[in-house]
Amino acid sequence: MGFFVFLPLILPLTAVPIARLTGQHLHPRGAARLMTVISAVMAVCSVLCLGLIGVVGTAQIPGNPLPDSWSDPEVRAALPYHETVGTAAMWLLALVLVACLRTAVRHVRVRSRARRALNGLPKVSGPGGDLAVLPDHSPYAYALPGSPGRVVVSTGMLDGLAEDEREALLAHERAHLVHRHHRYLLTTQLAANVNPFLRPLQEAVAFSAERWADEESAQAVGDRRITARAVARAALVSRAVPAPGFAAFAAPAPAPGPVPRRVAALLGPVPSSRNWPPAKTPAGLAALVAAVGTAASALCALNAAVALLVVLKAVTPL
Amino acid sequence: MADERHAPAAGDAPARRRGQGELEAQVLAVLQCAPGPATAGWVQERLEGDLAYTTVMTILSRLHAKNAVSRTRSGRSYRWQAASDAAGLAALRMRRMLDGEADRNAVLASFVSALLPHDEELLRALLDSASADPAAADRES
Repeated sequence: MGFFVFLPLILPLTAVPIARLTGQHLHPRGAARLMTVISAVMAVCSVLCLGLIGVVGTAQIPGNPLPDSWSDPEVRAALPYHETVGTAAMWLLALVLVACLRTAVRHVRVRSRARRALNGLPKVSGPGGDLAVLPDHSPYAYALPGSPGRVVVSTGMLDGLAEDEREALLAHERAHLVHRHHRYLLTTQLAANVNPFLRPLQEAVAFSAERWADEESAQAVGDRRITARAVARAALVSRAVPAPGFAAFAAPAPAPGPVPRRVAALLGPVPSSRNWPPAKTPAGLAALVAAVGTAASALCALNAAVALLVVLKAVTPL
Repeated sequence: MADERHAPAAGDAPARRRGQGELEAQVLAVLQCAPGPATAGWVQERLEGDLAYTTVMTILSRLHAKNAVSRTRSGRSYRWQAASDAAGLAALRMRRMLDGEADRNAVLASFVSALLPHDEELLRALLDSASADPAAADRES
């Protein structure tokens, strides 16, 4: 195993280019799926390697699952172990676990609270029955996953939109529900909890999911401009300006935020339906790098796990 | 909890909002138990904690602004009644959830995310170009 066991912890960096170049030459559907798979695999490998480093490194601390024969000098020579690193890995693992639990609990809580809020609201059967219009001046629109999923829109949001734009909004939210985008979001959020290097992928997946729903909406209403107007107007109605944090100061040349980029993409050409970017483009190269990184990450994790198993088998008298 | 009840003067904004959401729900619950239209004083008596009359009035007017309660004039004061429609109550509960959960956008896919400082003008320009077709131009004017 050796040094390779640490690789999966930094290999997620190979996915940064694809996260940056997302949307180029790639349909948002393909981009979201590709990046979700990449981040899930890399997160699992990271956890596996942290676990291995931890188990091996803390071999001499009581309570370690490794057998006593572990202290055999030959075994020690075969596997690198360092108590400080091992203990750190164990602490990191605990932190990761706590962070993931918090994310999961938050998801369950928000969804059940939203569902409870809609309790008692008469359900209309037939098309449009999933829509819950709530009388509220503050504009919002959410897709609430579940079975059946529901679309929650405030009157404040609907009032700000024209008739065709409302249709685009509903089609957008329904696309989230139909394609179960919340699973992509949850998966990548958990992955980003495991390894902070996966955070760019998480943001890129969240953006791709919105773009994906935008494209579905544009297809449903039959005009990309309508969806573009709906997104732009909804954003202006909500005008949710983030608290002046450091994002505002960190960017001297203001890069457009996600909403204008979505609108611009909708006003541009239809994205090609391919799920893998063409080879001789920056995006193709980035996808290749990310794929190689993922494969290497999986190999390293597997290699380390197998090495540990082989050594264990060798030293365990059975 | 006790701090939040008396929060209007002190405390940071999110805490105050959450406190208000809870108070509104309490007031609404009291009104729903009422046999008929109730006065603010009646509500105040039945609320937990020692809330000032003006606070109850503020909450009632806020609920009224949200269409969660209706009011009828009786003499020099109002009589309040919980709005009967389920949508209003659902909206209120949803509002409480949205105010209480800072990370709701990480869980529920929101239609639009927050704008960056320069996004607004950019969006207006894009909107203009998106509305360039005649039908939309009519509606714009």
